[in-house]
Amino acid sequence: MTVDATLLLQLVVNGLIVGALYGVVAMCFVLIYKASQVVNFAQGEFMLIGAWACWWLLVKFQLPFFASFLITLAFMMAFGLILQVIVLKPLIGEPIISVIMVTIGLSIFFQALMKWMFGVSAQPFPPIFATPDVNLLGLQVKTVYVMSTMISIGIMGGFAWFFKYSRMGLAMRATAFDQQVAQSLGISVRQVFALAWGISAMVSALAGVVVGVVNGVSPALSFFGIKVFPAVILGGLDSIVGAVVGGVVIGLLENLAHYADSQWLRWGNLYEIAPFYALILILMIRPNGLFGTKDIERV
Amino acid sequence: MNLTRPIAGALLSGALASMTPLTATAQAIPIGHLADFSGATADVGGPYGQGVADAIAHINRQGGIGGRKLDADTVDYSYQVPRAIAAYKNWSGKVVAIQGWGTADTEALVGFITKDKIPYYSASYAATLTDPAGGSKADKPTPYNFFYGPSYSDAARAMVQWAAQDWKKKGGQGKPRYVHMGANHPYPNSPKAAAEDYARQLGFEVLPAIQFALTPGDYTAQCLTLKQSGANYAYLGNTAGSNISVLKSCQTAGVQVQFLGNVWGMDENAMKAAGSAANNVVFPVRTAAIWTDKAPGLTLMKEISKMSDPSGNAYRASHYLAGVCATLYMKEAMEWAAANGGISGENIRKGMYVRTNWVPKGAEGVCKPSTWTPTDHRGMLQVDLYRAEVKDAGDGQIADLIARGAIQMKRIATIDLPRNKEWLGW
Amino acid sequence: MAATIALRPCGDFKTSYGSDQTVFPTRLSLAFCVAGVLALCLAPMFLGKYGLSLLVQMGYLGIAALGLNILVGFTGQISIGHAVFFGFGAFSSAFISNKLNVPVFFAIPLAGLATTAVGLLFGVPAARLKGLYLAIATLAAQFILQDFFARAGWFTGGVAGSPAKSFSVFGHEISGDQHYFYVVLAYVVVMYLAATNLMRTRDGRALVAIRDHYLSAEMMGINLTKYRTLSFGIAAFYAGIGGALYAHYLGFVSIEGFDILFSIQFLAMVIIGGLGSIMGSLMGTAFMVMLPEAMSGLAKMLSGSAIDRLLSLKEGIVFLREMTIGAVIVLFLIFEPDGLAHRWRRIRAYWKLYPFSH
Repeated sequence: MTVDATLLLQLVVNGLIVGALYGVVAMCFVLIYKASQVVNFAQGEFMLIGAWACWWLLVKFQLPFFASFLITLAFMMAFGLILQVIVLKPLIGEPIISVIMVTIGLSIFFQALMKWMFGVSAQPFPPIFATPDVNLLGLQVKTVYVMSTMISIGIMGGFAWFFKYSRMGLAMRATAFDQQVAQSLGISVRQVFALAWGISAMVSALAGVVVGVVNGVSPALSFFGIKVFPAVILGGLDSIVGAVVGGVVIGLLENLAHYADSQWLRWGNLYEIAPFYALILILMIRPNGLFGTKDIERV
Repeated sequence: MNLTRPIAGALLSGALASMTPLTATAQAIPIGHLADFSGATADVGGPYGQGVADAIAHINRQGGIGGRKLDADTVDYSYQVPRAIAAYKNWSGKVVAIQGWGTADTEALVGFITKDKIPYYSASYAATLTDPAGGSKADKPTPYNFFYGPSYSDAARAMVQWAAQDWKKKGGQGKPRYVHMGANHPYPNSPKAAAEDYARQLGFEVLPAIQFALTPGDYTAQCLTLKQSGANYAYLGNTAGSNISVLKSCQTAGVQVQFLGNVWGMDENAMKAAGSAANNVVFPVRTAAIWTDKAPGLTLMKEISKMSDPSGNAYRASHYLAGVCATLYMKEAMEWAAANGGISGENIRKGMYVRTNWVPKGAEGVCKPSTWTPTDHRGMLQVDLYRAEVKDAGDGQIADLIARGAIQMKRIATIDLPRNKEWLGW
Repeated sequence: MAATIALRPCGDFKTSYGSDQTVFPTRLSLAFCVAGVLALCLAPMFLGKYGLSLLVQMGYLGIAALGLNILVGFTGQISIGHAVFFGFGAFSSAFISNKLNVPVFFAIPLAGLATTAVGLLFGVPAARLKGLYLAIATLAAQFILQDFFARAGWFTGGVAGSPAKSFSVFGHEISGDQHYFYVVLAYVVVMYLAATNLMRTRDGRALVAIRDHYLSAEMMGINLTKYRTLSFGIAAFYAGIGGALYAHYLGFVSIEGFDILFSIQFLAMVIIGGLGSIMGSLMGTAFMVMLPEAMSGLAKMLSGSAIDRLLSLKEGIVFLREMTIGAVIVLFLIFEPDGLAHRWRRIRAYWKLYPFSH
């Protein structure tokens, strides 16, 4: 059983980088869930809308990349806020399955809207960086991935600070823990929900732009959002750190499974399926994920 | 994608069709048209469906068939099987032929159309549809399924044959290595066994297949494996969206491999989206000419294009031309049927068998000569291979990019496959 | 969630357990049901192939949706992988009737049983997981089984798919929409009656207890693991029967159609119809089958008309159709989260008490 060290190392590096991206999207998902108890099946569509918005600004208005990027972020923040106020607020208190269905309905709606506005074919992003790839430990990595990894780490640090030390962050954690008590202490739950959605939309847009720069923007970009689920389950649904760890683990797992598959097993499909097998295994051993809080049932 | 009047025109004819009873009156010939303008395969389904719709409108403009106009009901079923079935049930007993689309609808309806004896012209070129008797390799008899173009398997075999010649020409030493890349899904898997078998026959070393999903994503892992395996020729079996991702990932990973595309996996739009990563990809083209070539048949194509684009400026992808060809074959089969017993499903089918090396009138140089027989529905065994040449990853309309020379498709080979009995049906 | 059980109005006076457990609360409702079924029996004379095919679709999808409703509405679990059970039923029925040469008449129930086995297998993790974790575990099951379908050529036929024989009874072939409609109708009646019966037995009440407050249920002596797993098994059985009927209707099963979007459609049927309501499953299915058709018809009517020109919709009409479907689902859930069944009960209650309703 020979081990091809260079290939393995390259795959590990690739796994970490792509995993950071999964971690970013997983973080947004957990943010919404933690703050407003909503499972957002439309996370992929947030990425898609962000990608298309940035592309549109770049191509139609010929703005420089950073300007378009920042405008896209601002737009997505507003978009998330408005969406929460209009659609999700009436559903506070409804059973979780209804809320899941609403987000599914939203994803159908936005998919069709994006196809109408931007067409059904894949569109390439104009070249953004002077050097398209850099060499990292023997692996050629796209510059945009390096940028996204750095931004992801920055965002994770920002989130960590936000939730631990800022008023709003504490307010969010309090609301996630117990809505009624938070309300009774004067925290505006409405604001917390709206803000959670806004931030989540904004950060998803970042991930969407990155994927768009690499692969071109197309309606199928939203399928990236499906990978989020194994990541958040691995990490635990109510843990932001867990989401990041879950994302990175999934990225690594995919690549390692692919390595095992291509070298020894030759089944063919492990790259896509391994995360889901892992998900089931983790759930058998730790039903609440690696970092999720265990539900203590009081009678 | 500029679809201004096209869909309106198609839906308008559909609206009119739905308002008039769809019975085969002395005046109109009812046909069904399934298209995907808004679903998962819309990026290639749009141009193909447009070609079919425009061709039908043009046929009607020229007076129809024997004085009778075609009454086409265009249904956009968004690649969802239940809608295709519902549309078919609406047509069953009324239409005499159907212009279909992809694997989903073709497979779902094959039983029904065989029982109801309605010729089905699909854009799914699966080899299992080519054996009318449904012999050992294909499970089901498909006497009423036709398609214009080489089957996926035959196109793959042609590229394997080209690859063998290319290896010799390049002076390659030893056995060349071939690998199939695609998702574990009927569409990419369709030609896998056939191509790998033929590659072995021609002396290739066939490596284990590499899988990647039908959705765009990051495929660095697969590209690294490809690089490490030392493959020389890699067949990309998926549709354009994910092929673009693979090409880009492999370009970044520094993979030196000759990529072989498939009919739906590489076209002008994919070349634009993938940019320089698509440079040098070899892929089959179903028509003898592309829009910017010079051929006598392109005059007719340009006329047909004006049915939805009066300005005449739109660039029509290769899929559009293929859709027109498919419709023209149906039209000439109907003309034969009209003169030989009346237009019915069975007669149209018989009409498909009367000519050999058949090119529809007016389409010389565009629609390649095709021959269908009652025992062999492989219409085209001659495959044109083109190479994609992409100079810069620019943005802009496809027509401009081609005019500038930033995107080019150059024909590099025409492979004539033998009409082997052993190759029928798989 | 408790409001989804039909509350008995006060003044409901029963004198025996038997009368308390009737399937039909009043003679009138029984009469209506029978009349409805008879009316459907006469449908083939009036409806064309198109209408019949829609009814057949509602039939086999309705059976599968009922299974999902038992799982989600009555037991309170979540499953986003129902489509693969449906697909498994379709493939196993085709496999059993082709390779094992069992007559189709018996292949359909056997396929249901085979799917039950698979459902029980996936129900085992359900014992430990709750809520969202369960939902996502079923999502994983969806992808894993889809992969299995693609891989297991001996079972599903791989690339070429799997042909399915048409239904036949004692050598007399029943094919064509008009005749197959009766087969589906018979199955719908039997399965729906079976589900209604299940809900009035001890096991059905146990399932509802688990949904409402599983801790109390456990304390009352209900084995949570057993019933949760059983619930998955029953849901899979219904999905398997629905899938088998689908396979023999189309005459061909391909792995293309059983994806996550299909699972989501089942969920939509159940939620829009009303969780925890048997009749609601059928109503929700009818809604989801008719919605795309209605939108297509509307789109066809609109294209070329004054509205089209006014708003210059043109090619946007097809996308507008998809957007409307999504928007209808969202709006429906915002304004009527308890589903069609609840709305129907409210309407009935209004007319029952008219003119004194408040």
